Amino acid sequence: MAIAIQRLHLTHPLHFVIGLTLWSAWFVTVYGGHAVACEVIPPDPEQGVFTLVNAMLLVVSLAAVGLLAMLTVGCYRMGKRHEGRLRFNARVSAGLYLFSTLGVLFAAMPILGIPPCL
Amino acid sequence: MTTIDRDVSPPGDQRHPDQLHSDLNEIWGNPRGLKALTIVNHTTLGLRFMITGMVFFLIGGMLAMLVRTQLALPDQDFMTPDIYNQVTTMHGTVMMFLFAIPILEGLAIYMIPKMIGARDLVCPRLTSLGYWCYLFGGIIITFSLIIEMAPNSGWFMYTPLSSSEYSPGLGSDFWLLGITFVEISALSAGVELVVSILRTRTQGMALHKMPLFAWYILAMAMMIVLGFPPLILGSILLELERAAGMPFFDVAGGGDPILWQHLFWLFGHPEVYIIFLPAAGIVSTLIPVFAGRPIVGYGWVVFAIITTGFISFGLWVHHMFTVGIPQLAQAFFSAASMLVAVPTAIQVFVWLATLWLGKPKMKLPMLWIVGFLVIFVCGGLTGVMLALVPFNWQVHDTHFVVAHMHYVLVGGMFFPLIAGLYYWLPLFSGRMPSETLGKWGFWLTFIGFNTTFLIMHWTGLLGMPRRVYSYEPGMGWDITNLISSVGGFIMSAGIAMVLLDMALHFRFGKPAKTNPWHSDGLEWANRMPPSAYNFVSLPNIETRHPLWDDPELPRTIAEGQHGLAVATHGRREMWGTDPLTGKVREIIHLPGNSWWPLFAAMALAVVCLSLLTRLYPLAAIAVVIAVLFLLRWSWENGAHPKAAPDAQVAPGDPPLHSRTMDGPGLWAMSITMLANGSFFLSYLFGWFYLWTVSPGWRMPDESPLSLVGLLVAGGVLTLGAGILEKQVHGLRQKRDAGLAIGMFGISALGFVQVGITLWVLLSAELAVTESSHDAIIMVGLAYALLHGGLGAVLALLQGLRVGFGYVGAHAPFEPAVVAQLWRYNVATFWIIVGALAVLPRVIGS
Repeated sequence: MAIAIQRLHLTHPLHFVIGLTLWSAWFVTVYGGHAVACEVIPPDPEQGVFTLVNAMLLVVSLAAVGLLAMLTVGCYRMGKRHEGRLRFNARVSAGLYLFSTLGVLFAAMPILGIPPCL
Repeated sequence: MTTIDRDVSPPGDQRHPDQLHSDLNEIWGNPRGLKALTIVNHTTLGLRFMITGMVFFLIGGMLAMLVRTQLALPDQDFMTPDIYNQVTTMHGTVMMFLFAIPILEGLAIYMIPKMIGARDLVCPRLTSLGYWCYLFGGIIITFSLIIEMAPNSGWFMYTPLSSSEYSPGLGSDFWLLGITFVEISALSAGVELVVSILRTRTQGMALHKMPLFAWYILAMAMMIVLGFPPLILGSILLELERAAGMPFFDVAGGGDPILWQHLFWLFGHPEVYIIFLPAAGIVSTLIPVFAGRPIVGYGWVVFAIITTGFISFGLWVHHMFTVGIPQLAQAFFSAASMLVAVPTAIQVFVWLATLWLGKPKMKLPMLWIVGFLVIFVCGGLTGVMLALVPFNWQVHDTHFVVAHMHYVLVGGMFFPLIAGLYYWLPLFSGRMPSETLGKWGFWLTFIGFNTTFLIMHWTGLLGMPRRVYSYEPGMGWDITNLISSVGGFIMSAGIAMVLLDMALHFRFGKPAKTNPWHSDGLEWANRMPPSAYNFVSLPNIETRHPLWDDPELPRTIAEGQHGLAVATHGRREMWGTDPLTGKVREIIHLPGNSWWPLFAAMALAVVCLSLLTRLYPLAAIAVVIAVLFLLRWSWENGAHPKAAPDAQVAPGDPPLHSRTMDGPGLWAMSITMLANGSFFLSYLFGWFYLWTVSPGWRMPDESPLSLVGLLVAGGVLTLGAGILEKQVHGLRQKRDAGLAIGMFGISALGFVQVGITLWVLLSAELAVTESSHDAIIMVGLAYALLHGGLGAVLALLQGLRVGFGYVGAHAPFEPAVVAQLWRYNVATFWIIVGALAVLPRVIGS
């Protein structure tokens, strides 16, 4: 347990990969979720983008953005408190979380403009 | 193991550096004659990988010239359509699988230990197995050309074209079996490079002080570990379809040909970055040296490497924009494809800033780096164009895509590779290349390349589809094709000149001075050419620029003034360090030269050939023999007399890794399980994909699998894993009472689980040739059986090793490694039960 907590500390290099892993999980969720939703609850094409599918994908995306943004801020602040190796780890992690946050925002933009399942 | 009957020379003793060198040579030196086949040393094997890769490059290059000859003029009948298809397929296959990846792996295998201050890679016998699998697999695939049975469905083997109905010969089988064989090599290198970089850096080399090249190779190796298994699964499924009629990709049987595309590109797109990242690592290594200053933004480069590695796994569908995927899904992949340009652009700006702020010297390697920058940036821009769905539809399957791909791969991999080879040539040979011949080689290649492929963009925009063996005059493609063909031959002349320069320099090159490019890298502290053990003593490195900060390092290392300058114990030793801080944790002792990797690879080659020729009983026998060889290999480990019979170390030194609970074997098993997990996730993807998307999928009303049987099997497996955990816990407390009996009991439980699972499989009476549902269930249960059997055998072996005294409280390491496999088996078994037996009962069809 102590090791797990130590590894979750924002200066641990494990955070180099957590942000983009979350991005990947979000990406697979929206891509796979969209495919499954189209099989299970295909919306009427007349509805345009105002469908339950778009809404669910948007909620998942906003949740991912929120989580990643929090981690970005956390790592950035942690980087200011340390020097040397720990500062390096926290700063790179903050950058990677920021990129992941922006990556979700950018790749989720089509949800606002493209109807699903077409 | 070598034993030297001489007193220990204490570290720092400068009286006997020659004696120390001689002792180390006795332990690490390479044998000659037939025994040279047993060499496991990374320097020798890295060179073998690179030389073999260059041979395959020449074969692939000659195939390219045949293609260009055929396409030079309209209505050519230089080749028949079938031969043309074989030549183009083999050109792509050879270049991607037998040249690009192996030669970069070879470079990494050669360079990484020298850069991080280690004496070898952490699993030397695995390096050797990887090389032999690569060589034998490559020969098998190439042999298909000679007998005119080469694969002819394109290098990505799309189904149904590659299925038995449309490709009835052995061509597709050569590809599927041969490539899978070669992939053993890639995965071996991937696993050991990851573990070596994380656990064997020299004392003091913390993660943020690591050479950038090591960061790139770490990312590449992890990508190999995660990226290759989907293709291995796809190849196995397609070969099962071709050989046994299981309809995974056949719509009539409930399969879906698009599943192949998903599995292929899940591998295929990361593959592009697997090739690009090490090449970019060469660029990030060379530019600071020739600019004479540290790289601008080390942290930014690390950021870019990690980002590229991840995002590259989210792009695979952009190869499939025309197969009918919904627009919203295409938009996700279009956006992700544009995202990957960001880390790439960061690296380009870092390189430019370093050159801008430094004083660049335009030596021969830098010419190739500049060539890379020009070509790769152009390739990257056309890549962003292709990420846009409407443009992608427009140029899909045209020569525009062929041109883009060559700009990215030749510009992004070949140019940096040649830069790197020129740069490290003095290290390989102790001699300098010819600037004159080298410059001629560069300019001919650069001009030839752009003449071929810049023009090819126009050919594609004019509508010429790829993979057509000829075209009629008057289509508007005549002149551009002719120019491309002329350019191809100019490029060939340039490459010939480069190879001539490299060959001649071994004989006529000027002897190189120490650190001839005034580099900062630790690799230049080696002898030129290097000794088999790299460093006489292992230095403490706490800087990113060891040779700039301490130019005396080559001398002090050679004089044995640093750590582990001891050889009298006869072991091959190096530091095992903390992956984050670089603090020394233990002494890693490595195995010596061995026949087992060669024998195992030969047995696997027999498996490959007998599957090709449909001699299944012979294949089964060869599998058993290969497993026996591998188990015999694993026997010579830990406290075995051939590995490290006693735990004696010099006063003040840390313990041997085999006497701890956290040796590199544990890390290697974890990374292997990551690869295994990627394979398993790909399998689950296939199951759910067919279930939800395949138009002809037929889910039976009632699951054919006995849920009770599976629950009992899972319970037995979980019980065995629980007991094993208890045994490992006891070993951590230095208790080993009842260890042997415990391991035998665990093994027995493993075999019981295998027996019950086998009963479930047989009693299900699956119609594997009629329904993809039944076929994919069979594959899932076979996976569980294979893993259960392996877990049981390894536990049995551990019981025997306890009896021989190789495992116990004094050497507690190995059961912890086996426990990792058991944990994995328990997790995957229950997921299989949930996915194959429970979910269909809950959700239905």
